[in-house]
Amino acid sequence: MALAIRTEGLFRSYETYDKPEGVWNSVRGLWNRKYISKTALQSTDLEIHSGQIVGLVGANGAGKTTLLKILSGLIHPSGGEARVLGHIPWKREEAFLRRISILLGQKNQLWWDIPAADSFELLARIYDLPMARTKARSLELAELLDCTHVLHTQLRRLSLGERMKMEIIGSLLHEPEVLFLDEPTIGLDVVAQTRIRTFLSEYVRERKPTVILTSHYMDDIARLASRLLLISKGSLVYDGTVQEFMLKSEREQRVVLRYAEPLKEKFFLGDGRNLEAGGQEYTIQVTSKELPEMVRRLTQQATVQELKIEEADFEDVIRKYLETESRVHPSRSNH
Amino acid sequence: MSYANIWRRNLGFIRLAVITNLEYRINFLADAVAQPLFSSMIELVLWFAVFRSIGGGELAGFSREYYLAYALWAAFVARITSNWMYEFKMIEDVESGAINGLLVRPTSFFEYYLSQFMGYKILTAVISLIFPLAVAAYFHLPTIYSRIPGMLLLVTYFLLLVHCLSFCITTLAFKFNKVWSFTVAKNLGLWLVSGELVPLDLFPEAWRSFMVAQPFASAVYVPVGYVTGRIGHTALLTGFASTTVGILFFGTLGALLWRRGLRIYSGTGA
Repeated sequence: MALAIRTEGLFRSYETYDKPEGVWNSVRGLWNRKYISKTALQSTDLEIHSGQIVGLVGANGAGKTTLLKILSGLIHPSGGEARVLGHIPWKREEAFLRRISILLGQKNQLWWDIPAADSFELLARIYDLPMARTKARSLELAELLDCTHVLHTQLRRLSLGERMKMEIIGSLLHEPEVLFLDEPTIGLDVVAQTRIRTFLSEYVRERKPTVILTSHYMDDIARLASRLLLISKGSLVYDGTVQEFMLKSEREQRVVLRYAEPLKEKFFLGDGRNLEAGGQEYTIQVTSKELPEMVRRLTQQATVQELKIEEADFEDVIRKYLETESRVHPSRSNH
Repeated sequence: MSYANIWRRNLGFIRLAVITNLEYRINFLADAVAQPLFSSMIELVLWFAVFRSIGGGELAGFSREYYLAYALWAAFVARITSNWMYEFKMIEDVESGAINGLLVRPTSFFEYYLSQFMGYKILTAVISLIFPLAVAAYFHLPTIYSRIPGMLLLVTYFLLLVHCLSFCITTLAFKFNKVWSFTVAKNLGLWLVSGELVPLDLFPEAWRSFMVAQPFASAVYVPVGYVTGRIGHTALLTGFASTTVGILFFGTLGALLWRRGLRIYSGTGA
């Protein structure tokens, strides 16, 4: 399979200045500013094949949006190399820009004061698309997203969810080969999130674009991505499939059990965990490694009436993993 | 990409400017009608007062009617050749990161705003042209009507230089973020050197010759002087030549600053 995206030693730092509080420090800042360099993205090597759907996950400020911005040509890197569909992104060649699309969930890219239908017409002119085909396509996408009724309403009058659906249609009109999705469901209600997730899932299955997706909602990643990149403090700390990640991580599971009768005496489980005497229902957090032994011990203690094992969700697993990474690599927090 | 496509795309931007501005119709009418009306009235009252205080006669070789005609047309032309609204929008785009939507599409920021700016200015100019025409005709103020197309041609050409100046200032926002005060300073400077404040004839000869040779004189003094009969065809052609030099200089400067700006741009707000 051909390489769609390749980076080598790609990094980005930027200059900012310290801003001490108070009026006097602001006055002093007129002639004396202390500039500091911050690293947003550490040296990154990456290869993504055509048609792959990659979930890029990290905490706020971890560097995921910086990586997307470099790969889409929005910003220049401070060093290193990158090729997207064979182009150097930050040269912003027209042939490159026609083949990609970036959707920034926190930023409008359509025009605020005009209806989405007018925006799509303008996009057709920008991308040199046949007008009739563009109209048919925008209508088709709007039907899939269930938003045909707001096509002729000014963008500023739409709800956040409706606006995002319009942004998605706008970003897909020219059928990009590489799609960068930065937080496409942020701030949306559950219904809108599900709708957009379902739509994107069907779209990528049908059209097979290469996608890099960032999201704070792990359901987006679990549902759409086949490959997971975890980024922490500007560095990639995990690169593999979502399933491998779940297996590799020391997953936490919850054992929920109900005994037939209240426990007669305190039961010590280890690691500071106990079942207090007199109780009948208990919930215990265990790792996947501990699970078989723990279940054996719990069921031997008394007669079990009900026992459930609940999977930890993906979001918790990632959070734990990133927390561990910060402890293991404290130097990464020193920009 | 074909020329036909570039043309279609730019017509799309002009269409966008018209639709967007007509969306806020009161603001549009105030800009197209009320502003030129009030600024002309202020200028006319000022020149009436000046000639009353000197007891009539001539000032720097021209009669009161010439100054009234100058004031009338200067208010109209200066409103077209000044750029506040789009320059603020361009700066705001860089400051806020709204520019991202353009950077990732196969078009250019310069072209996008030039077409919108030209489209909007031509639309408002056509509407506000009615006022100086009506006043000049009613009060028989010195106006050579056959020269109006030549004046409008120079004014339209000068808009390209206006946009290059705005583009240069906008690129500074990559480095300094807030640069609206540069717009204010630039427009105040142009107010003086373009001849909007007073006709350049009132300056000492050495100054006058120097300032008329600058491209900025084509913002007000040259087109208004031409249509009111103060200056002739040669001065108009000189205006075209100096504007061309200005466009080349500020266009090149803008392109260099833009390239530098993009290198440090951090994609704000996304």
